[in-house]
Amino acid sequence: MECQEARPLLLDYQRGQLTPARHDEVRAHLERCARCAREEAAERALTNLVERNLPQYPAPLALKRRLAAHWPAPGVARHSWWSGWRRALAPAVALAAVLVAGVSLLDIERVIWRPSDAPGALVTEAVNDHLRLLQSEHPLEIESGGIHQVKPWFAGRLDFAPIVGFEGDADFPLRGGAVGYFLDRKAAVFVYSRRLHSVSLFVFRADGLPWPTRGLQRIGGVDASVKVARGFSVILWRSGELGYALVSDLGSRELVELASKF
Amino acid sequence: MSDGNGYYRDGMAQEAEPTGTSPLPREALAYADSLHNLARYLTGDATDAEDLVQETYARALQGAAQFRPGTNLKAWLFRILRNTFISLYRRQRKNPTVGGLDVVDQLANGSAEEGWFMNDIELDRLQRVVAEEIEAALLALAEDARTVILLDLEGLTETEVADVLGCPVGTVKSRLSRARAALRVRLKDYAR
Repeated sequence: MECQEARPLLLDYQRGQLTPARHDEVRAHLERCARCAREEAAERALTNLVERNLPQYPAPLALKRRLAAHWPAPGVARHSWWSGWRRALAPAVALAAVLVAGVSLLDIERVIWRPSDAPGALVTEAVNDHLRLLQSEHPLEIESGGIHQVKPWFAGRLDFAPIVGFEGDADFPLRGGAVGYFLDRKAAVFVYSRRLHSVSLFVFRADGLPWPTRGLQRIGGVDASVKVARGFSVILWRSGELGYALVSDLGSRELVELASKF
Repeated sequence: MSDGNGYYRDGMAQEAEPTGTSPLPREALAYADSLHNLARYLTGDATDAEDLVQETYARALQGAAQFRPGTNLKAWLFRILRNTFISLYRRQRKNPTVGGLDVVDQLANGSAEEGWFMNDIELDRLQRVVAEEIEAALLALAEDARTVILLDLEGLTETEVADVLGCPVGTVKSRLSRARAALRVRLKDYAR
């Protein structure tokens, strides 16, 4: 066995995760190679150091008690405890956050974000994600050379293939794309523009989210939810396994016009 | 809107209970310590860590229907915590660049190895690095390096780590080894 072969096996060797034959090979190599033996000792020292000396931060008791006390009992409508708790705590937490860290308004928004608002949570998340993108110094990870450059760029960066039927036109040119997050999952972000306005389209796996079922509006071939929140227009829809959130400070009418192109 | 095969309408019709009905097993609370520890090292701040853990449980409850009983609850919670951290805190995060997992694989190169290779004296000193120093060294690493080291320390398997990070199982070993190499580079500063 050579050094190049032995080095990547050292951790598994120390943890007894190699087959007996492989284990013996590594040991034999370490006995005759001083450099690898030192490397092995250093890895062992690092493991000891981290396991013994790295400070651990268990959850504070107060936090554990809060979590346990508010855990939903079986059969009880879920999340009501959580929203009540959050609503009660939100002003104090937000104020403390501002005083301590001088955080931005967006953080206050984050603190009082209420997951129990079911479909409203999707609208809130869409607006927040759009704002994050606008605030980012480098919002676009790939500048558009057209949809045929942007879509392949996502390959390997997501666990799904974003399906986007609109490649941009003179009214709504495609500016580029980025990988983002929507709630607990990765999202493909496509950024279009309209005059000086920016439009974000988030595409993500649709499963397990509280999709709106009421007040839907037929746009293009699908039933979509059109909402206005904090001055932003948001259009949500699902297609197959994918969910779509279109967000902009454009008026709803213009955003619906764009949505109908997908 | 784009697939045009009617699947969308089927999906909407079946949407009886959007947030699912299966409650999360109470066992989830048993991982509060582990989750808080990771949260503390991700945010580097006590208040943020508590917020992040609360938010993680809120999202876990909200997405309880997505959890498949029989799969690893701990890894599932870790994944939610990390994704929540990335979506909420990344914007305001300090920006450590040293030791990110995108650095050239020094082990593979061999030639770059001497730069951080430890001699016996350094090894001896490494064993006397104090808690504050190792904590500072870990916090100085890029987020993905920190996470993979802490998940490994928690005893997660490579498959579980891959699940949390959303990366192929085959890359976990090399990510961990690069993260540990980066940590050693950092610790070398203290081991003088």
